[in-house]
Amino acid sequence: MPAIFPRILLLSLLTALSFSAVVAADGAIRQTKGDFEDKFRQLDEVLPTPNIYRNAAGEPGQQYWQQQVNYKMDVVLDEEKRHLSTKQQISYRNNSPYSLKYLWLHLDQNIFKNDSMAEMSTDFGGVGRRGPATSVSDGEITARLSLEELRRQQFMADNELGFQISNVKNSSGKALPVTVVGTLMRIDLDKPLKPGQQVDFSLDFAFNIVEEDAVSARAGYEHFPDDAREGGNDIFLLAQWFPRLVAYTDYEAWTNKEFLGRGEFTLEFGDYDVKLTVPEDHIVSSTGVLENSSKVLTRQQLSRLEQAKTAKRPVFIVTEQEALENEKEGSNGSKTWHFKAQNVRDFAWASSRKFIWDAKGYQQGGTEQPFVMAMSFYPKEGGELWQKYSTEAVVHTMEVYSRFSFDYPYPVAQSVNGPVGGMEYPMITFNGPRTKLQDDGSRTYSQAEKRFLIGVVIHEIGHIYFPMVVNSDERQWTWMDEGLNSFLDGVAGREWDPTIPWGVEPRDIVDYMKSDIQVPIMTQSDSVLRLGPNAYTKPAAALNILREVILGRELFDFAFKEYATRWKFKRPTPADFFRTMEEASGVDLDWFWRGWFYSTDHVDIALGKVFQLRLDTKNPDIDFQRQRQQELDKPVSLFVERNKTENKVLWVDQNPDVRDFYDDNDRFTVTNKERNAYNKFVHELEPWERKAFERAVAEDKNYYVLQFSNQGGLVMPILLQLNFADGSSEQQYIPAEIWRRSPKAVNKLIVTAKDKVLQEVIVDPKWETADVDIENNFYPRRIVPSRIEAYKSEKSKAKVSRDIMQDIKTELKDPAKKSETDNKGDN
Amino acid sequence: MRLLWGLVLLAGCCGPLAAHEMKAALSKVLLNSRTGNIEVMHRFYVHDAEHGVKQLFDKNADLLNSEQTQQLFNQYVSEHFNMTLLSGEQLLLTLIGGQLDGRFYWVYQEVAIPAELAGLRLQHNSLQALWPAQVNTVNVEGRGGVKTLSFDSKTDWQQVSF
Repeated sequence: MPAIFPRILLLSLLTALSFSAVVAADGAIRQTKGDFEDKFRQLDEVLPTPNIYRNAAGEPGQQYWQQQVNYKMDVVLDEEKRHLSTKQQISYRNNSPYSLKYLWLHLDQNIFKNDSMAEMSTDFGGVGRRGPATSVSDGEITARLSLEELRRQQFMADNELGFQISNVKNSSGKALPVTVVGTLMRIDLDKPLKPGQQVDFSLDFAFNIVEEDAVSARAGYEHFPDDAREGGNDIFLLAQWFPRLVAYTDYEAWTNKEFLGRGEFTLEFGDYDVKLTVPEDHIVSSTGVLENSSKVLTRQQLSRLEQAKTAKRPVFIVTEQEALENEKEGSNGSKTWHFKAQNVRDFAWASSRKFIWDAKGYQQGGTEQPFVMAMSFYPKEGGELWQKYSTEAVVHTMEVYSRFSFDYPYPVAQSVNGPVGGMEYPMITFNGPRTKLQDDGSRTYSQAEKRFLIGVVIHEIGHIYFPMVVNSDERQWTWMDEGLNSFLDGVAGREWDPTIPWGVEPRDIVDYMKSDIQVPIMTQSDSVLRLGPNAYTKPAAALNILREVILGRELFDFAFKEYATRWKFKRPTPADFFRTMEEASGVDLDWFWRGWFYSTDHVDIALGKVFQLRLDTKNPDIDFQRQRQQELDKPVSLFVERNKTENKVLWVDQNPDVRDFYDDNDRFTVTNKERNAYNKFVHELEPWERKAFERAVAEDKNYYVLQFSNQGGLVMPILLQLNFADGSSEQQYIPAEIWRRSPKAVNKLIVTAKDKVLQEVIVDPKWETADVDIENNFYPRRIVPSRIEAYKSEKSKAKVSRDIMQDIKTELKDPAKKSETDNKGDN
Repeated sequence: MRLLWGLVLLAGCCGPLAAHEMKAALSKVLLNSRTGNIEVMHRFYVHDAEHGVKQLFDKNADLLNSEQTQQLFNQYVSEHFNMTLLSGEQLLLTLIGGQLDGRFYWVYQEVAIPAELAGLRLQHNSLQALWPAQVNTVNVEGRGGVKTLSFDSKTDWQQVSF
């Protein structure tokens, strides 16, 4: 029984890596007697028990609560020293029913300290850390360090990194004791903070900003040494830059898990009042609304902003020419930009004298936020690519995402180019793609880079909805924001231009899903083995399948929107998503969540055989003749045939005078004995039985039995295409529930009209279910060539990746002239 | 000699860290009884490979537009994927070519299926010198169930038995 072993191994892996509740569930799925697996078992043991904070429908419960944290900060950016210092005031409101004796804060900058857990727990040469390469000795060669790793280590040795925190005081000026634990800090309060009470405290913090390229963070500065200004210029991206309150939740209390670099954050909503003092010639993009625009912007910039509100295309607030002038100079003065943001869960900003700035108003309508300003900030390196597509992609994202969730709830939506490939914060995103400088001084980009820009802007702006507003816990469940958002960015992308190969096609995930090294989607972020396919692609493909194949668009979109609106500005958990999708669609999806999110099973439905059946008429005059014909249709015995070719003369032919009754009557000869039995049978039928029987005989339909087996373990609907002899074809949908009592093999009866003769059956003809083996989807079997076979028979036709913008400048050469010069060269 | 080659590969500047770089390749080693070959099909995300070649070769390397870069990359991958019999005897793969297809860049290799094949030893370290996070997954298919090997930057040779 070799097939049994891999399954047991997989399941024991699942139980080891997932929740302990799964152990109980697993026992219930795999029986101790027999080998039946209940693939449709409800998620009883797996989901947390509903309570007054989160109910059984997946809604916020009647006593749902979350904390509120307001921040006021005075920030000074020292460009020369790449140093940030801030006076911070925090108001913490305890809406929980519990008293809090202490508060926990995230100190994410401490991850860059040499003694951080992230640094000390780095598996040398191992996977998973963000940053440059190391690799270990393979026995013959000494261990290697990449130059990037050396640069990183040198940067970290040369610069004092991490937060410097001082002056932690309560509102009456009394010092509060603090305890720093890695990337976390505990502040002990004077007295317990009771439910409904608020506490105010303040502190000062400062840190040296990391060079993003050196340490591979999610923020930092990028240096441009070649700029005209002496010493070059920087772009500063500031994120995870201030001590932030750890989320205190009903499901986990303090979510104080050390920052290891991979899992992102979950934070509290609150209001921000932030003053950013930066070099006078810098342009600042930030979470929030600019409160003192008349002080920091020129009259011309203000009027351009006004003009942008109703413009059809983005309007430059700072033009490329102005930015170029700006980046040549420098200044000693400073300016303070004052931003306020309401109801956000984080705050990020960017500052540089290199920024070009464009804006376009988005008239969203509705009552909450009828107008949104979409804006982009980028250096000249962003070029035409950014001028044309960044802000437009921001607007497109809001149009599509709002349809699936709620109106974009903030007054601004921004896309900023800097050293970070792609990262999201409330109202602001960092996006990496750029143009390439050619020798002739122009800037071009490939079609792939264009797709990358549009794709990354959609993805990061999409994150403002999930998880910046629908505030899921990224540190624990990366898939809740990355998976949902990858699904939606696929929707938005296809509405931008469907010819671009966006992700989330079920076919893209099959090779991952059939591999035997993986963990379930429901795995804590820091422990996921392969984050890309696990947290982005697989859940996105699963949601795509749920929408297109299982629920249909109408049900899915209704349920998904319900989830989004229920949890807008609140904090959902996976169970809330699973329960809402089920409750709002009215479709039991426990089998789907179990298979796709809690297991490492894959889809492989094989069509083993197709049998054809014919209804007996019971009438001997018809049935016996049919049986006689069946006998005649069988091939003649080879023995007999060879005897014939050897001209063997048969005994019966040599002796024709010896004959009897059986020479003229074969075994299918009908007698009145059979006719009497038939007549008696018909006579004794109840009237309704006779009617049904006679009709069936008259119609003489074709009956086919299709034998399916489930070779991947994941139960799924069976999508069928039936091709008939007359050239027509028909699609059939068999719900996944066909597997409920027999998860390994099922049969399906297909009945067709007499003239509809089945010729071929194809399972999942459009590759909608992520079925990993296509060959066993055909009956009769069809040869599916491997990629190499296909490649050999036809070379690639892919032309989309050419940088046509550059190639088009190629001069036309006269081959005759060329050969002349070549000949000369030869001489 | 090999150490030097390694250091050469490691040189060069790192580009922006992109959330959309998957840093993951997936290879299929298919024992294709129809063609009698062990077919090796490496699938890279275009965005990984595209940024990879700029660091591996030179900053003007262009996987998408330059056939020369494609050939260099095909060659690079073929040098970073090795396959032997369980006995250690090298299976010399022929480089068939490379192909862009949507979001993926594919590199193809093949070798005739040896008469006696009890298993395979494999090594795949493409792009790992650039990014520690690069994970190369190899699915061995066509003989029994799918067997997967995962190569991160610290794993060396691994084997599957049939």
